Amino acid sequence: MSASNSPRTVRYALLTIPVLFILIVVLQGRIDASTAPLQQEKRELLIRSGPLLKKMSLGYDSLVADIYWTRAIQYFGERTRNQGANFDLLGPLLDITTTLDPRLMVAYRFGAIFLSEPYPVGAGRADLAVDLVKKGLQANPDEWRLYQDLGFLYSIHLKDYQKASEAYLEGSKNPKAQIWMKVMAARLAQTGDAIETSKLIWEEVYATTTDELIRKRALEHIRALNAAIGLKRLNESSEEYAKKFGRYPTTIQELRDAGFVGGSLQDPAGYPYVMGENGAPQLNPNSPIILDPDQNKPLQ
Amino acid sequence: MSTIPGIVAVNTFREAVRDRVLYNLIFFALLMMAAAVLVGGVSIGIERDVIVNLGLTAISLFGIMMAIFIGVGLVYKEMEKRTLYSVFAKPIQRWQFLVGKFVGLLLTLVVNTVLMAIGLSAALFYVTRKFERGDATIAVAIYFILLELALITALALFFSCFSSPILSTLYTLGIYVAGMFSPDIRDIGMVTSSPVVKALANFIYYVLPNFHNFNTIAAAAHRETIPLALIWQNSAYAGLYVIVILIAASAMFSGRDLK
Repeated sequence: MSASNSPRTVRYALLTIPVLFILIVVLQGRIDASTAPLQQEKRELLIRSGPLLKKMSLGYDSLVADIYWTRAIQYFGERTRNQGANFDLLGPLLDITTTLDPRLMVAYRFGAIFLSEPYPVGAGRADLAVDLVKKGLQANPDEWRLYQDLGFLYSIHLKDYQKASEAYLEGSKNPKAQIWMKVMAARLAQTGDAIETSKLIWEEVYATTTDELIRKRALEHIRALNAAIGLKRLNESSEEYAKKFGRYPTTIQELRDAGFVGGSLQDPAGYPYVMGENGAPQLNPNSPIILDPDQNKPLQ
Repeated sequence: MSTIPGIVAVNTFREAVRDRVLYNLIFFALLMMAAAVLVGGVSIGIERDVIVNLGLTAISLFGIMMAIFIGVGLVYKEMEKRTLYSVFAKPIQRWQFLVGKFVGLLLTLVVNTVLMAIGLSAALFYVTRKFERGDATIAVAIYFILLELALITALALFFSCFSSPILSTLYTLGIYVAGMFSPDIRDIGMVTSSPVVKALANFIYYVLPNFHNFNTIAAAAHRETIPLALIWQNSAYAGLYVIVILIAASAMFSGRDLK
């Protein structure tokens, strides 16, 4: 045989490549299973210093920031899928992202929600979320939306209505700010933790967010708050009934027949309210609404 | 006939030794000596970890550089010097030549890696004054590095069959870096709601050589047990992938007009 090539041998060998690739895919699946225990909870941030990473990124800070933001989202998604997983790296990932690109608004706004939502839906670290938004405000003082986020965090998660009101008020001073920022500041200063105020805040989140997950979450809260408002009214009627007749009503129909309530007596999901013990109205057991959505389930 | 790849392999190894490729061992030895002496003064409680991390990382990096920079020139250099024609004047098939080149470079890398492993062991013994059972993980990590180097060598050889050394280096490095990020590519598929992106991410995950499979340096530093199954799985994975790449390289090289 001279210096010729060997097309036939090679041609036969080429035919085996698909089979070999199938074996490779099967093997990779086995390797993933073998390495799963080694990988669990071992995601590490090799470099935690944002300023150092900024120097190392050689001027490509904003691109590296985008990569870190993507990592933060992936990390959050992965953690919410794994029950019992912690969110320890979420704060550092967001901190690095916003150090690399201090104008990346999406990282402050969505990042704050990821951090503040109660565990296991989120990291349950409203304190870190406040720090993140404040960092955003330092770098972007003209972004009135960040004041909205700060007010949201103080009122919904930290229940500090005074600071929430101050945040909304500060944001409302921006000429670009929506008029409802002032309304929100006033309402929070007056009524604090009123259900109606919480509903108003979630409605603003629902109306302004572009993220589907957050929108879905806000809708759950709004429906729960509407149900709570309905129950509150029924409860007041039940008390009035007890004052008049000397006993609590045993059914919702009794309340209606006595003229204490009228109209639709259904929750936002369309299920009629039911009367519980001692005249305390309750949600229908079949209703999908859960009064505290944070106790419900992770974001899907 | 069956000894032809062996002859090519031995000559490739000799050529590498003649080219003073193994001189990198001097740098490695100096690095290990300096680390062994300095580590006690600059780190508290993690002396062993530092030596193992540094040693294994250096073995991996030196090996990767050798595999890429020598691998991309294996075929190209022979064509440039026109020595390929005298080789093919003999009864040798092109695939045999490629397999010989691959084995020869792999032999060089094995010798280089084993010598570096001895250096690492010496530095480790100097720092800890003993060997423990958990140190066996270091041997597994070194074996995985060799598997990784075999894959990189095959890739470099593949590209060297049809491309210039500079481009081959870029291609090989690109695939290596992408292969290191394989788990992130899979994560993208898991997080996205788009079935197209999910399918694409999964496809890339399985088609790209997964270099992340071989990374057990951290496990070795922390004396973690590596599942026995992983050793044969990684061996089979690297073996199959090398065969696929060498077949593709042979096809590419066989179809090439060398005139």
